[in-house]
Amino acid sequence: MLKVKQVSKIYEGKIAYRALTDINLTINEGEFVGIMGPSGSGKTTLLNMIATIDEPTTGEILINERNPHVLKKEELAQFRRRELGFVFQDFNLLHTLTVEENMVLPLTLDGKKVKEMKEKAYQIAEKLGITGIMNKRTYEISGGQAQRAAVARAMIHTPKLLLADEPTGNLDSKSSKDVMELLESINKTEKTTMMLVTHDAQAASYCNRVIFIRDGKFYSEIHRGDNRQAFFQKIIDTLSLLGGDAHDLSSVRV
Amino acid sequence: MTFRQFAFNNVIRNKRLYAAYFLSSLFTVMVFFTFSIFANHPALSGDAMNSTVSKGMNAAAGIIYVFSFFFVLYSMSSFLQSRKREFGLLMIQGMSIKQIRLMVFLENMLIGLFATLGGILLGLVFAKGILLLAENVLIIERTLSFYFPVKAILVTFIAFIILFFFISLFVTYVLRSKKLIELIKGNKMSKGEPKANLFLTILAVLLLGAGYTTALLAKGVMVVAAMVPVIIVVCIGTYLLFTQLSVFIIRRLKKNERVFWFKTNMLLFSDLAFRMKDNARTFFMVAMVSTVAFSAIGTLFGFQTVLTSSIKNQNATTFSYITSEDQEEKNVATINRILTEENIETESAHTVLQRFEVGGSSTQIASQSDFNRFASLIGEEPVTLKEGQVVVVEYQGTNFGQSKDLMNETITLTSGTVLKPKEAIHTKALPAIDSYFVVSDEDFKKLPEPTLKESYYAWQATDGEERVMAASEKMYKELPRYEITSVEYEIYEIMKGYGPILFVGLFIGIVFFVSAGSFLYFRLYMDLDEDKQKFKSISKMGLTEKELKKVLNRQTMILFFAPILVALIHGAVALTALSNLFYFNLFKESVAVLSVFLAIQVVYFFIVRFFYTKQIQAVI
Repeated sequence: MLKVKQVSKIYEGKIAYRALTDINLTINEGEFVGIMGPSGSGKTTLLNMIATIDEPTTGEILINERNPHVLKKEELAQFRRRELGFVFQDFNLLHTLTVEENMVLPLTLDGKKVKEMKEKAYQIAEKLGITGIMNKRTYEISGGQAQRAAVARAMIHTPKLLLADEPTGNLDSKSSKDVMELLESINKTEKTTMMLVTHDAQAASYCNRVIFIRDGKFYSEIHRGDNRQAFFQKIIDTLSLLGGDAHDLSSVRV
Repeated sequence: MTFRQFAFNNVIRNKRLYAAYFLSSLFTVMVFFTFSIFANHPALSGDAMNSTVSKGMNAAAGIIYVFSFFFVLYSMSSFLQSRKREFGLLMIQGMSIKQIRLMVFLENMLIGLFATLGGILLGLVFAKGILLLAENVLIIERTLSFYFPVKAILVTFIAFIILFFFISLFVTYVLRSKKLIELIKGNKMSKGEPKANLFLTILAVLLLGAGYTTALLAKGVMVVAAMVPVIIVVCIGTYLLFTQLSVFIIRRLKKNERVFWFKTNMLLFSDLAFRMKDNARTFFMVAMVSTVAFSAIGTLFGFQTVLTSSIKNQNATTFSYITSEDQEEKNVATINRILTEENIETESAHTVLQRFEVGGSSTQIASQSDFNRFASLIGEEPVTLKEGQVVVVEYQGTNFGQSKDLMNETITLTSGTVLKPKEAIHTKALPAIDSYFVVSDEDFKKLPEPTLKESYYAWQATDGEERVMAASEKMYKELPRYEITSVEYEIYEIMKGYGPILFVGLFIGIVFFVSAGSFLYFRLYMDLDEDKQKFKSISKMGLTEKELKKVLNRQTMILFFAPILVALIHGAVALTALSNLFYFNLFKESVAVLSVFLAIQVVYFFIVRFFYTKQIQAVI
């Protein structure tokens, strides 16, 4: 589904900075993969390149055997709109629109029929439990609700790949849990491939697999067994090996 | 860091944020200053003729000053609106509302001081240009040389320091103590859509309709009487148009999901609805200010055309001499002498204009041969009439209702034959204050005794046209004023008297129009940060460049052309009313003036759109 081959990223400038070095990564159809690492390790750079927001300096990225970076600007926008879904840390909902309007925006831009959009919006809202706030404006809802609305927006066009950048970064633990469970269930029922960048070990424990990077290089990879709690512990262990300070981790919630 | 240092640094280190406000203040100062350089020019003060002119100039300066006050006030308040979050943040840090007021006051005085100094400096740079322009428009004999305008500098400096002082004082009180939460959420919360009331919406349509029909139907002096009520009605109508009708339309569009949820429409309409309150006010102001500019300049040009065309219509030839007194031969000789002196070659013709009693009033009748002589002089078609045929030459000048319709009149000859005109023609061959008849030479001899006879001479210059002015000046000195007419000199005389009015009018019109443009610019740039944020998020979701440009294009287009369109319609109606007042068709002048403004606005639109799109694209 997603192949990242020998990708490096160098930020040009007065002092060139190497953000990523020779990253290789394969994500299969229907997988839920987490990317972790200390601040500045290059997690978000990697995600941005997969999200086609940024371009790799060397190497290539294939999504469904296609390299989106060779697409023209117009095609790229179409590609993002149809094949990718995004969830951001700060939600990125438009405050001039209602929750419902925010949700259907990707479909609207694609020129879908109103009836179809309505149906889809209500189906997803039902699943995500946000039917009650459909007509509210973004400043009238809580952070957890906003993130669920953002997930709904990312899901509405049934993307092949859903990318999440610290989706729980702005949420309390209860809301984090809700959002992660939501993503997990979408991953299971819809078979949507997902990639998650996070600091939060708790959030990462919902993934099938977690990849650690440090200083822009691949560090290690761990797989989840049947037990999420055990997986969480493994993540914590790896993180402490990674060399972060102990208090860098979120408080132990086991 | 003392508090004053903080206020100072806040401005100096935040230059970009303050730039728009600073520049518009600078602009107003500059406009006022250049105008007062001109108004206080030593060449313009002194002799008696110019005392009325300088009075007019002072009045104009007053208008500009009052307008500057409101313009700066508006800029200031829209500038403060965009800083709500900053104030919220400062208040969280424990700044009291009193301190914020003090800060805003100090900032504003600082900006005001620099804007005043900068405006004066820039004004000095442009001073020579404006003086040159004034020289040409005004037709002043003496050249307006550059001088160091001590008086203008002092007047401008004091006037604007006072202006900024009062605005700073005023604005700090406008800054009401809002709830902190409102300040912090500031830009995310809509200022609310004005409520669309069906009754008021219909009222808007009715008021505008009534205003327009009254303005269009009124004729002559009625126009003056109807002017004030029509202006008030249209003013209210326009306000309601933007606050009610536009809201009404956008609401309807938003409710119709088929339209609202169609591609990029959602982005466009949601924004329009969100900013409706701000937009409605800006649109109203821009529309009214532009209307004033259009009407003022249109009126001035129209008036000029009315004045000059009546002379051109009555006198087709370069020089003409008309008399019923006995000095005739001596005066004609003088004219011919001057023409030879100035080396102007002319063709000339002479006739005796005769008026006869027709249908109970005195009407001019010319013979075919006389008429043809003068027609060939100015290169117009001659007429050929058989015995018994009559043509009517219709009056072309400004018709104040004095001109009769001669087509239904008949001429009775001494032989008892009654002649009826067969057709009407338009020509300037003979001078006229009314329509007149041309009859065949045979019939002319059979006319009864004329009631009035005047000798008429005309000269048409064929060479040496550039010396016509000099010759005219001599002739006007040596001959009775009402007998000799030189078209060029008459127009020059009119322009000389009319120039100052035209100049002042043009100046004020342009100031109004340019400031209307800056209102729009402000409106657009106040939303820039918000738009940047918005398009950044959307582009991550996948927005093609084409779609982005489409949304931005429509957004700026609505902003730039909705109020101007209304202003153009207002202006067109106003100018039509003006033509009705003078019984003079000003269609050409109106179209010219309005299309020049439209063209300027289009250029302005393209420039602003280019930079705005570039700024948005830079963040994506």
